[in-house]
Amino acid sequence: MRKSGTDNLVPAIKSPGDAPSMKGAEQFEIFPDYGPRINRRHMVAAAVVAVPLLFGFTGLAIRYAAVASTLAEPGFEAYARALCRWDCHWYVDISERGYERFPIPNQSNVGRWGFFPFYPLLVAVIRAIFPFPTIVVATVASLACSYAACLVAWPLLKKNMQAYVLYCAFLLSGPFSFHFTTFLSEPLFVLLTSSVFLALKRSSYPAAGISSALLSATRLVGVLVVFATVIEMFQQHRKGGGSPLSFPRWVLGRPDLLVAILISPAGLFAYILFLYVTVGDGFAFLHVQRAFGRVAGNPILFLWDGLSAFPKTGWLPTAPQWSALAAIAGLALSVVLMARKQYGAGIFCAISIVVPLITNLASMVRYVIGLAPLILLMAFLLSASKLTWIAALFLFLVACYFMTVAWIGGYLALV
Amino acid sequence: MLWSDVGNPYARAISLGCYALAAALAVSEILILALALHPNVHPDYRAYYIDRTTTCLNRDTVGIYSLGQTVSFRSDGAKRASGMKVCGWSGPAADGTHSLGETSRLRLQIPPLRDGLKATLQMAAVVRPPQMTQRVIISVHGVSVHKVTLSGKQPMTVSFFIPHAAFSNASTFEMTFDYLDGIPPSKAASSIYKRSIKLVSFRLDAV
Repeated sequence: MRKSGTDNLVPAIKSPGDAPSMKGAEQFEIFPDYGPRINRRHMVAAAVVAVPLLFGFTGLAIRYAAVASTLAEPGFEAYARALCRWDCHWYVDISERGYERFPIPNQSNVGRWGFFPFYPLLVAVIRAIFPFPTIVVATVASLACSYAACLVAWPLLKKNMQAYVLYCAFLLSGPFSFHFTTFLSEPLFVLLTSSVFLALKRSSYPAAGISSALLSATRLVGVLVVFATVIEMFQQHRKGGGSPLSFPRWVLGRPDLLVAILISPAGLFAYILFLYVTVGDGFAFLHVQRAFGRVAGNPILFLWDGLSAFPKTGWLPTAPQWSALAAIAGLALSVVLMARKQYGAGIFCAISIVVPLITNLASMVRYVIGLAPLILLMAFLLSASKLTWIAALFLFLVACYFMTVAWIGGYLALV
Repeated sequence: MLWSDVGNPYARAISLGCYALAAALAVSEILILALALHPNVHPDYRAYYIDRTTTCLNRDTVGIYSLGQTVSFRSDGAKRASGMKVCGWSGPAADGTHSLGETSRLRLQIPPLRDGLKATLQMAAVVRPPQMTQRVIISVHGVSVHKVTLSGKQPMTVSFFIPHAAFSNASTFEMTFDYLDGIPPSKAASSIYKRSIKLVSFRLDAV
């Protein structure tokens, strides 16, 4: 009798939140191994919540020290302003003033149209509730997004604590943590990308579609995640015994899948419509690239030019070399993802690297490290052995300081 | 399960709702795409951003100028020169205002005239071996008035006559410099970054 009761209840318990309350010793007797199991789950849950929090504070302290070494002015606002470099100023402007019409005020050639609206809009909404300076609101929002991205990564890392620690360290205390904690699109981009892949992992296509729609309003390459969605659907169809030829018919027969696919680029289309109404050109975000000096060319030649830009003095690689190496490393990791049968993630990352590479190597390091599947894979691979794990963790924390100093100093490879 | 197989009327309604939403999304996206493919923009915007027929994006600026006045385009004359520069210029610097791109323009207000003008410009070529000369075509309101080849780093004084017919119908005076030998900063750089000349001074005299 007692045994059958236990058998009936245990399989229904999926998480600590599902566990029945245990008020007395009698219940402990009925479910003898619940206590340790729940305690362990609670401990893991606490660790999952605490690890990114810890790295959030550690990273903040390291970057603050780096900023303090170059600036005399103390305080969080001064710190936030010091880290706001390059594109960050564009996002601040968009969040405060929106997009301009044509002709652009101040006789400028460069409109803000190249920067996608979702993150600055989100910051504007938060600022309406908490009336602090934009950069302060955005910095806190970016920290929150990166923290949330870490939590979303936990199931994507197959609950591998070592990989999780490395991933959190990279995002919040790593060499490029300033990208994820200032007003750039990266924090939200990483969070939404992770959300899409988590939804796909759970075959929750409507959730993937909505996250993709928001992603496509965050950065242009965000729209490419729709390929990952379609590939995941195709894999599901094949697992169910469907043939490749019957896939289109299968999708057409599933309206939920159709909605998920068609809603994915909705953010991009909304922005195109907005630009058509305000500027008269829905593709202003592409056309304005001319004023930034971006020219379409052969990605292989851009890579070659970058690699062959040897330093004139010293041995440290030049900014173009770092950018080319980042692109190559990103493409190599994309291939590894595909080799591990994560075709959707691999193709999404590869195209997201190649698309900006068509114009040149500018911002390539930032684009590569902003691709969540690549960083998740890197964390996974580096945590394969304890030695590499410790070395990587140490390197991330040390590099955080020096890379922040380089970022503040305007080092071109980090732009 | 295909939607046609759904027996439950509630589920069938949801299914039909999803189809309606999918259709609405598809139609909206096609319509937005059609709008985007037919931009409704100012000709200056189209020329610079879409057609890329110019590197010089026109701006609504007109400089104040008195005939017979020499305007310095070095740092010392920044204030007076700034209103005259429409597009295609960078600076000024100590050695003059540098051209940027394949075309530069100046626009200024002049009093009504009965005859033509004499223009006197001081310009220096931007040289980088093997490009040691710079050919410049100067036009006034689209009418070519002078062609010059600059060589060497030292500024050259260039004088030429501008016929009255070239600007008689215009409310402002607009001079365009087209560069045939612009030097890009790198092989892969955009044409908007080409360098050709340094304009040192500008003067117009009534003839």
